[in-house]
Amino acid sequence: MAAVNALHYRFPPGSAYRLNRCLFAIKSDDAFRARFLADARAAIDEMELDDTDSAALLRGDRDALVARGAHPYLVFMADLRLRMEREAMTFEDF
Amino acid sequence: MLVGAFACAHTPQLLSRPETEDRNLVLRVHTAFARVKGRLQALRPDAIAMVAGDHIEAFFLNAVPALAVYAGTECAGTFGRYRYRFPIHEPLARAIVEQGIERGFDLFYTQDAPLDYAFYVPLHFTMPEPSVPLVPLHVNVYLPPQPTPRRCYEWGRALGEILRARSERVVLMASGGMSHFPGTDRYASPEFDYDRRLLNLLTAGRGRELAAITAEELDRAGNIELRTWITLLGAVGDAKADVYCYEPSWHHGNAVVEWPL
Repeated sequence: MAAVNALHYRFPPGSAYRLNRCLFAIKSDDAFRARFLADARAAIDEMELDDTDSAALLRGDRDALVARGAHPYLVFMADLRLRMEREAMTFEDF
Repeated sequence: MLVGAFACAHTPQLLSRPETEDRNLVLRVHTAFARVKGRLQALRPDAIAMVAGDHIEAFFLNAVPALAVYAGTECAGTFGRYRYRFPIHEPLARAIVEQGIERGFDLFYTQDAPLDYAFYVPLHFTMPEPSVPLVPLHVNVYLPPQPTPRRCYEWGRALGEILRARSERVVLMASGGMSHFPGTDRYASPEFDYDRRLLNLLTAGRGRELAAITAEELDRAGNIELRTWITLLGAVGDAKADVYCYEPSWHHGNAVVEWPL
């Protein structure tokens, strides 16, 4: 199991389904992302996350989220989408 | 018939460049994309069949297909401020599904899934004018267990046979790679030496050796998306690659390659 656990991308455990669904919604659902930016706690409640997952998500704690079974790419892109709206990052679009 | 084969990076920072990215590097990759576009114009394809790995956009955990074909009339997606829509070459898409299944590949098909940016980024830069219809072909790369490299190679070999038997002129493109580790603590340290060794094999026409790579090795090398290239390699066999560019950024090995057929 050690070798499997060392993989960067692992099978998403069913126990993390709601967490991954929430990250997916932040990444890909503009309306949900807007609700999350307006009131993260309320948006998380819509997704019925447990207290541990909610706390990790509110802290933006990547390592804790991945340890809970979140997919690293979803953590990465959900965080990027939130930062793009919060920080008004500048881009050169081609 | 199969008239051309290309592989392209789809790093989103090539499309929408934040200040963290080296502008000259981005422009050098664009130059390679422009060369692909010129070749596509010369090859006059009737359709582009593009193999890409979904970034958990079209398919979430409700259904995780290993291999899928977009087989409707059109496909569309969004990425940031970009909105895109492409007509699908439906007769070709349907033939790929029907003949692929006949050949023993249990393909998933969709007429209603968002089109990931992995398809869009290369097409933004390389779609010839006038534009040609697309057949998006999905390979699962991000949600383990993914199809094995050997299975991807075998599917590519069958796909190549299907395309060669068609009357349309088809260009096959693979989107993805090379080494990168999004969302992990390896993000800023890709395996560039691994990429260069692979490119040396490909320029020597030894692409079939990639079918023997293990899933674990692809994960360790940040090359889970190489499954799209390996699918293409099954179709092009021992053709020798012409590497247009290999541009390692701080997080990503950006390659653009043609296999002249």
